[in-house]
Amino acid sequence: MLDSWRLRRNLGLGLAVLLLMLVVIAPFYWIFSSSVKAPQEIIAQVPTLFPQSFTLQHYDNLLQSSAFPTYLVNSAIVAVLTMIITIVLSSLAAYGLYRMRFPGSDFLFRIILITYAFPGILLLVPLYEMLSSIGLIDTRWALVIVNVTFAAPFAVWMLQAFFRSVPYELEEAAALDGASRLRIMVRIMLPLTAPGIASIAIYAFITSWTEYMFASILIISDANRTVPVGLAGIIGQYQVDWGLLLAGATVTTLPVLLLFGLVGRNFVDGLTAGAVK
Amino acid sequence: MRSPASRLGFLLLIVVLVVAGIGPVAAQDPVEVMIWHMEQPTYRVERLQELIDEFNAANPGIVVSQEPQNWGEIYTKAPAAVAAGNAPEILFAIPDFTPIIRAVGAVQPVEDFVAQMDEAHTFFPAALESYSYDEHVWAVPMWNMAQSLWYRKSVFEAAGIEPPTTWDEWLAAAEALTTDGQYGIGLPANRNLYTDQTTYDFMINAGASEIYNEDGTLRFDNPATVAAYDFYKQLYQYSPADSSSWAWGEAEACFASRTCAMVLQFTVISTYETQAEGDAEDLGVIAIPHSDAVEESGTISYVNAAMILTDDPAKQEAAYAFLSFLLEPENYGRFLNMEPGLYLPVTEDGSTAESYWQDPTVVKYQSQIETMLENSRNGMLFGFTGGHTFPTIAQISAQNLLAQTLQSVVIEGVDPAEAVAAGQEAMIEAIE
Repeated sequence: MLDSWRLRRNLGLGLAVLLLMLVVIAPFYWIFSSSVKAPQEIIAQVPTLFPQSFTLQHYDNLLQSSAFPTYLVNSAIVAVLTMIITIVLSSLAAYGLYRMRFPGSDFLFRIILITYAFPGILLLVPLYEMLSSIGLIDTRWALVIVNVTFAAPFAVWMLQAFFRSVPYELEEAAALDGASRLRIMVRIMLPLTAPGIASIAIYAFITSWTEYMFASILIISDANRTVPVGLAGIIGQYQVDWGLLLAGATVTTLPVLLLFGLVGRNFVDGLTAGAVK
Repeated sequence: MRSPASRLGFLLLIVVLVVAGIGPVAAQDPVEVMIWHMEQPTYRVERLQELIDEFNAANPGIVVSQEPQNWGEIYTKAPAAVAAGNAPEILFAIPDFTPIIRAVGAVQPVEDFVAQMDEAHTFFPAALESYSYDEHVWAVPMWNMAQSLWYRKSVFEAAGIEPPTTWDEWLAAAEALTTDGQYGIGLPANRNLYTDQTTYDFMINAGASEIYNEDGTLRFDNPATVAAYDFYKQLYQYSPADSSSWAWGEAEACFASRTCAMVLQFTVISTYETQAEGDAEDLGVIAIPHSDAVEESGTISYVNAAMILTDDPAKQEAAYAFLSFLLEPENYGRFLNMEPGLYLPVTEDGSTAESYWQDPTVVKYQSQIETMLENSRNGMLFGFTGGHTFPTIAQISAQNLLAQTLQSVVIEGVDPAEAVAAGQEAMIEAIE
């Protein structure tokens, strides 16, 4: 009786997982499989689940005849720099806010979250003028600064749950042994909050990788353009090259999938940390 | 007696002063001209770069360069760049974009240069109309785009029907061509520029091309406009269900895949050639059918032009030199054929230039392109008609109010008369 119930439960769970996987994987499969179809098959009246024609011409066009590789390199540079700077700034800020007692720390924490909630579009023109006045328009640094500005507040908030979970006694013991604040943070806090650091790394990377609005306005030249904006341009307005679009979408997704594959579990841990005490 | 070290230092100082002094005189900096255009696909950028390289080689004192931009962002990006002093010397435009850049004080009048080019190449009168107002010409016409009705001859023959010229024939054709797996027509109903354009096609062909009265008040709310929206609704029932989210690309894909028997487009040639069967003999193009209220068909047309954003005389001269180079018949065809079959000439000598008609795609689809050219002669654009130009159309266009009104008719089912009245109210609000 119990075995039968367990069997039914496992079967139900298995089906639910299968359904969820289908929902999640189907769009990726559709994009990838279509990217290797001939142009006629991509827009065929009756869509084909499995490619009836196989071609790499769209990838060839994308990587050989367009500026996409440049966009890819730019996106990677901006995303990695955004990730590194966000990790450094937000871990220092989170440590200061949640482990050090000083007047107004709660107020400061709330202010940081308000920054996160502020609509970016309202900052577009002032930011453009500020960055222009210091000569950063059409540079990758402009995007790094903007991306860090928007990623860091949420990253600080995400880290607080991890920092709070580390017992104060560990810090006190290290302090008694003569360790400085910075040493305590680097040698004790960061290793113990590694899943949190991984979470904010992936969050900052994806925030930067997918950012469109500021990249479209602050970057002028093709040489500094990132993937989301560059891809929107090369597919055309009146004539859409669907194969190129699908190949671009596939290649764009790969780095994110790779990063998720490496540290995705930590990201989930990071998001749920502190949810259950 | 000076030491050897001080003599060496003195010598170095002399060298530095001489180099600093004669440097600028010996090698005068070339005049730099930056172009922003919205022709982003790689092959268009490459074609323009070929022409730029030829010009730069022939004009050592000028360095022209290009940075392709996107229509999606340029309305925000260009004013911001002007405000921050980063604007390019040449910015390509469509008529309703020019007033926006003019409002930030950057656009230079170009009537003298346009008069020179007119004398040399003879602009079609309609090309200048949408850029001539407030006693100046604000941009140099470069090419035209006009919509037509595209179909497959074999599909019509199989159904035993003739290409339509009137609205009654058009509706009957759409109904007859709607069969299993085929929609009679593909019409957009998205709130975007494409739907603005197709809606205006219907308005022109219903006798409602004038959105403004001569005194600048709106006359959008009139029986002819209502008739246009009503007929759009009737035809829309033969369009795919997902066409409410279409832009130009989806309509072309629908036609190329034989899912739509007819579409309204600037051109389908490039997609038909690369993503469909590419049989030039079977590709049909005609003027957009008209209602009984008008005598001949008309269409929406966009004259694209180049604005000059610099007030530096040397840069202006350099910019004019480059635009003049592009308009020379031996170069003009190559310039237009960066997207063969989409961009139509705006000058008389350009329309007969060998450089235009010898492109392989143009040769293959010559009869279709000749029809497109013919259709474009009856082209007009909302807000720039009847010898008047109303720059406030930029606000109406920016909010896609023609398309918004259409959505309320074909998607929400609002009575066309009520929707058009509400549309005019929305326009008044947008202008104020």
